[in-house]
Amino acid sequence: MTTTIEPAEDEASVSSLISVRGLGVSYDVARTGKKLVAIEGVDLDVREGEFVTVLGPSGCGKTTFMNVIAGLVKPSAGQVLVAGEPVTGPGPDRAVVFQDYALLPWRTVFDNVKFGLEMQKGLKGDGWRDRVQEAIELVGLSGFEHSYPRELSGGMQQRVGLARAIVAEPRILLMDEPLGAVDALTREVMRAEIEKLIAATGKTVLFITHSIEEAILLGDRIVVFKSHPGAIKEVIETGLARPRSERSIQSDPRFLELRDHLWDALQGEATAAAVSK
Amino acid sequence: MTVTSATGTNRIVRPRRVVRSGEGKWAWLLVGVVAAVLLVWEAAVSWLQLVPAAFLPPPTEIIAAFVRLLGEPEFWQAFVYSMQNLLIGLALAIVVGVVVGLAVGWSPVLRFTVAPFLWLLYSTPKVALAPLFILILGLGNESKIALVFLLAVFPIILNTMEGAVTVSPSLVSAGRVFGVNGVYLGWKVIFPATLPYSLSGIQRGAALGFTGEVLGEFLGGTGGLGHLLEFAAYQFMMAEAIALVIVMVIIANLTLWLISTLRRRLAPWYDDRKIVGAS
Repeated sequence: MTTTIEPAEDEASVSSLISVRGLGVSYDVARTGKKLVAIEGVDLDVREGEFVTVLGPSGCGKTTFMNVIAGLVKPSAGQVLVAGEPVTGPGPDRAVVFQDYALLPWRTVFDNVKFGLEMQKGLKGDGWRDRVQEAIELVGLSGFEHSYPRELSGGMQQRVGLARAIVAEPRILLMDEPLGAVDALTREVMRAEIEKLIAATGKTVLFITHSIEEAILLGDRIVVFKSHPGAIKEVIETGLARPRSERSIQSDPRFLELRDHLWDALQGEATAAAVSK
Repeated sequence: MTVTSATGTNRIVRPRRVVRSGEGKWAWLLVGVVAAVLLVWEAAVSWLQLVPAAFLPPPTEIIAAFVRLLGEPEFWQAFVYSMQNLLIGLALAIVVGVVVGLAVGWSPVLRFTVAPFLWLLYSTPKVALAPLFILILGLGNESKIALVFLLAVFPIILNTMEGAVTVSPSLVSAGRVFGVNGVYLGWKVIFPATLPYSLSGIQRGAALGFTGEVLGEFLGGTGGLGHLLEFAAYQFMMAEAIALVIVMVIIANLTLWLISTLRRRLAPWYDDRKIVGAS
C-alpha cells in the first residue's frame, strides 16, 4: 500500500486563530541546579473552527504546551499569538476543560457552570441565568442543576466541566485529556457528543489525548508530540468525513492507515520515554 | 438513589454507610460498660466502704451534687463568665488564625520565613505563659481571653496553612482560566477549599482554648467554672468538684460536636473527598 500520509501543509499565519512560534518552556530544577526542558521549538498554526488533537506519550510536554496557550504557563522562548495578539495570561477568549474536572466541590452544578461567567461583565442583569441554563442543557445535564459534583459520576462531572468552559462562549476550547479519567463506555458516548457539540458551536479546539483512536476520531489534524524534549514530531491531516461514528470508522481504510502510522510513530516514542525513565 | 428535597428538586443521595447497624451494638455495649463501672463504684464506696466517701464520693452523691449545682444562680454566673471568655477568645483566634493561616499557606515567601516560627511557638508549652498573662493583664477577663486565644490560635493557623498548601493546583488553574485573580482567588477558591481544614483546626483550638480558660481561672480568678472547681476542691467538697468536672466534660464535648456538625454542613464534600475528582 502506498502511503498517503503526508505532513500537513503550513498555513499562512495571517489566517490562523492560534499561532505558535518557536515556543519553548524550561524549568529550573532546584535540586540538581539543571534546566529541565519541557518543550522546545514548537511551531503550530490553528485555523478558526479547526479541531486539532495533540497526541503524545505521557510526559511529552503536551499539557505544558496547552497551558502556555491557556496563559497559565509563561514561555521561556518564542510566543503564542491568539487572533494576532500575544498571550500574556488567561483570557475570556480561551477556556480549559481539565482532566480531573477541577470542579468546585462546594458548588452545585448550576453554580459551577456559573463560575465560568462570574468574572465577566455578563453577570449583571438576568440574562446570565439563561446562559448558564442553556450550557447545562447543551451538555445534557438538565435536572441536575442542584446536584453537587460528588453526587455525579465522572462522565457527568466532566459534562459540568464542559458546560463551564462553553458558557462564556470562548473562541477557543482547550481540552486536556478530558476523557482520560472517564470509564470506557462513557468515553465513547462523550466523544460523539463532544464532536456534535463542537460542530454545532463552531469552536476552535485543541484536544490533548494519549489515545490514538481518540485523536483520529475527533481531529481535523493530529499533532504528534515526541518527548525529551517535548516537540512536534509531525502534523497529519486526518481527511475523514464528518460526522464520524465510532463504529463505521473502525473499518474505514483511511482510519486503519492512520492508526498504523500513529502506532509506529508513538511506539518509538513510548519506548524511548520508558528507557529514559 | 434519588430523593426529592425540600425545595422540590431531585437530588442524588448516596445511601448512608451500612456499618451504622453494627455501630448501634457497640453503643449498647458502651452503655453497659459505663453502667457496670458505676455500679461497682457505688458498691465499693457506699456498701462495701472500701474507699472513704470523703475522698471518692459514690455516683449517687455526685449526681445529687450535679442537680444541686444546676439550681444555683452562682453556678450559672460562673458558667456565663467562662463561656463568654471562651467565645470571645475563640472568635479572635478564628479570625486571626484563618487569615494568617491562609496568608502563610498561600504565599511561599511567608511560608519559608514565618512558618518555622509558628511551628516553634506551637510546640512551646504555652500554659507556662499563663502566670505571666495573669501578672500583665490582671485577674479579670482579659487574661483569660488572652490565654484562650493563645492556646486556640496555633492549631487554627497551622491547620488552615496545611489546607491552603494542599488546595488542588487544578482548582487554582481553573480559577485563573476563568479570570479569578488575587483576592478573589483567595475568597472564591482557596478559602472554601481550605474551610474543612480550618474547621478541624478550630475544633482542636476550641478544646485547647477551654483548657486555657479553666487554667486561667485556677491560677488567679474572680469567677468562672474553674474558679468554682478550685473553691470546691479547697473546701473538700469532692462531690461538687467532680460534678463540676462533669459539667466541663459536657461543655467540651458539646463544643466538639457542634463544630463537627458545622463541618458536615459547611463542607459536606470533605468526608467523601476521595470520590471527588479523578485521582
